[in-house]
Amino acid sequence: MATTAAPLPMGEPLGPNVASADVHFPAIKTYEQVDHEIINTMRPTLGWFILLALAILAMLAGAATWTYQIYEGLGAAGYQPPVMWGVYIVSFVFWVGIGHAGTLISAILYLFRAGFRTSIYRVSEAMTVFAVMTAGLFPILHLGRPWKFFYLIPYPHWRLIWPNPKSPLVWDVFAILTYLTVSATFLYVGLLPDFAIMRDREKNPIRKRLFATLSLGWRNSDREWRHFARAYLFLAAFATPLVLSVHSVVSFDFAMANMPGWHETIFPPYFVAGAIYSGLGMVFTLVIPMRKFFKLEHYITLNDLDAAAKMCLFVSMVVGLAYLTEFQMGWLAGSSFEQEYWWNRTFGQWWWAEWIILSCNCLLPMSLFSRKLRRNPGWLFALSIFINIGMWFERFTIIIPTLSHEFEPWQWGTYMPTWVDMGILLGSFGFFFMWFLLFIKQLPVMAMSEFKELIPAKMKQRAAGGGAH
Amino acid sequence: MPGVIGAFHEMDSAYYALEELKKKRLGDLTVYTPTAHHEFDELLARPESHVRRWTLIGGAFGITFGYFIWVWITRYWPLVVGGKAIVTYVPFTIFAFEVMVLIGSLATVVGMFANSRLPRLTATVGYDPRFSGGHYGVWVETTPDKADEAMTVMRQHGAEEVRREG
Repeated sequence: MATTAAPLPMGEPLGPNVASADVHFPAIKTYEQVDHEIINTMRPTLGWFILLALAILAMLAGAATWTYQIYEGLGAAGYQPPVMWGVYIVSFVFWVGIGHAGTLISAILYLFRAGFRTSIYRVSEAMTVFAVMTAGLFPILHLGRPWKFFYLIPYPHWRLIWPNPKSPLVWDVFAILTYLTVSATFLYVGLLPDFAIMRDREKNPIRKRLFATLSLGWRNSDREWRHFARAYLFLAAFATPLVLSVHSVVSFDFAMANMPGWHETIFPPYFVAGAIYSGLGMVFTLVIPMRKFFKLEHYITLNDLDAAAKMCLFVSMVVGLAYLTEFQMGWLAGSSFEQEYWWNRTFGQWWWAEWIILSCNCLLPMSLFSRKLRRNPGWLFALSIFINIGMWFERFTIIIPTLSHEFEPWQWGTYMPTWVDMGILLGSFGFFFMWFLLFIKQLPVMAMSEFKELIPAKMKQRAAGGGAH
Repeated sequence: MPGVIGAFHEMDSAYYALEELKKKRLGDLTVYTPTAHHEFDELLARPESHVRRWTLIGGAFGITFGYFIWVWITRYWPLVVGGKAIVTYVPFTIFAFEVMVLIGSLATVVGMFANSRLPRLTATVGYDPRFSGGHYGVWVETTPDKADEAMTVMRQHGAEEVRREG
C-alpha cells in the first residue's frame, strides 16, 4: 500500500507515474481490467481439480503412513541410536524456512519499496502461512504419543511439567506460534480491500455473503485507507525483525547444544539466509506455473522474475559464503572433533548429501548471472526444484551427520530414512499443496487494490490530451 | 444522516469537486477511492492516523508482559540448576521480543479497526459497489436544503451519477 506515496500535485498538469505502471505494466490499462482479470483466475478448471485430487491423495497417503507409525511405534521411522532426530525434524526446519520468503517479500520488500513484490507477494504470504502450518505438524508427528501433543505447549499446569525458559525448544514454540499468528494476520489485513471487491462483484449469494462478512464492511473510504496504510506499515515493521528472529531461534535448537557442527555462532544468520533462499525457491516453484496457467504474464512480468532471480542469486551467494565459513571455522577451530566431523560430512559418510547441497545451492544458481537465464521462466522453475531439493538436504546434512558422528567412536552410527519417513514427507507436500490449491481458487492471487496503485489513475485532463486512458 | 453521493470516473474530477464542496462548507465529506490515494487526505486535511499509538501501547505492554510472565513463572516454580541463576534475563528477552511483536501486531490491527470503525454491519448508505472497482465516490453528509447545491457542484465537475441518500 502506498503508505508514503507523495500526493500528486493537483495544480500541475498530470502525467503518468513513471515509477510504476506505464513503465512496468504496459498491458494493464484500467482498474476494471485488474479486477476482471484477477477474478477470472478464480474459476475452477479441470486441471485444478486433478491437481487438488493428487494433493489430497498425497496427504491421505501421509495420514495412512502416520497411522501405521502410531501402531508400530517410532522405530518404523528409521530412528536408531544415536540418530533420534530424522526426516521429521529435517522437514520441520525445511518447512519453517519455506515460510520465510513470504514475509521477506511481503514485509521487507515493502519497507524497501521494491516494485516487483506487488505481483508475487500475496502468493508468498499465503505460502508462508501454509508452510508454517505444515511445519507445525512435524513436532507432533515426531511424538511417540501424538495425542499428548498439548504437553508441548509451554504453560504451567498440574502435571508439574513446567516449561523451562532456558530451553531453546520452548523459545521455538513461542517463535513459531507468534510467526504463524502475525503472518496470518498480515495476510488477512492485506486481503480486506480485496474481500470488498469480491463482495461487490460476486453474483453467487452465498459467496457474496461470505465475502461481505470477511470484508467487515470495508468501503474504500479515505478514513479506512488512511488507517489501513498506517497499520500495514507497522505490521510490516513488526514482521521484518520477526522473520529474522524466528529462524535464528530455530537455529538455537542446534547451536545451543555442545555438539560438533552445531555449536557455532554463525548459525542464526546462516539459518536466516538459508530460510529466505529456500522460500524464494518455493516462490518460483509456485508462481511460474501459476503465471503460465492463469495467463498472468502481463502481471508477473519478466522484469519481476528477473528482479526476484537477482535476489535469489544474491542470497545463494550469502548461503555459499556461510557454507565456506562453516568449513573454515570447523577446520581452523583447532578441535579434532570438529575437523573429524567436517571431513566425515564432506568426504566421508555423508559426502553425497553434502555435494547435493553444494551443487544445488551454490553451483547451479550461478547460472543466474546470465540475464538470459534470469528471464527464462522454464529455467527458473527447473532451478527452483533444484533449490528445494538442495535446501531439504541442507537441513539433512545439518542434523544427521552431527547426530551420527559425535565425539567418541562408540557414539557413531548411521541413519537411513524408511518408507514411513518418505510417506509422511510426501503427505506434508500434499497437505501444503492442498491448502495452496484451495487458496488460489477461493481468494485473489494478487492484491487487486494494491495493483491499482501501480496504474495511473484515470484523469479527465490527461484523457483530453490524448493520454493513456 | 441524509446526504448526497456522487460517482466519478476520473480522479481529478472527484478531486476538484471535493475541493469546491469543501470551500462551500456544504457538510461532512467522505471520499471513496478504489485504492489508496493520499492526495485526498491532503485536500481534506485529515489528521495523522492514531493507529501508531495502539502499536506503541501494544508493543510496550507486550514486552513488559513477556518479561513479567517468565520472571513470575520461574520464581513460582524454580528449576534449580547448580550455580545458575533462576531469573535469567537474556533468554527471557527472546520471549519478551516475541510477545512484543505478537501483542503489538494485534493491537495495531485492533487500532486500525477501531479508527476505521470496522466491522461495519451495513455498507449500503453512502456507498456504491462501483467504488471498489474503478470509480471515485464523494459523499456529502448534509441537510436537505443544501443538498441541491452539493448535487450541482458534483454535476459541474463531471460526476457520472449523483443521487440523494438516507
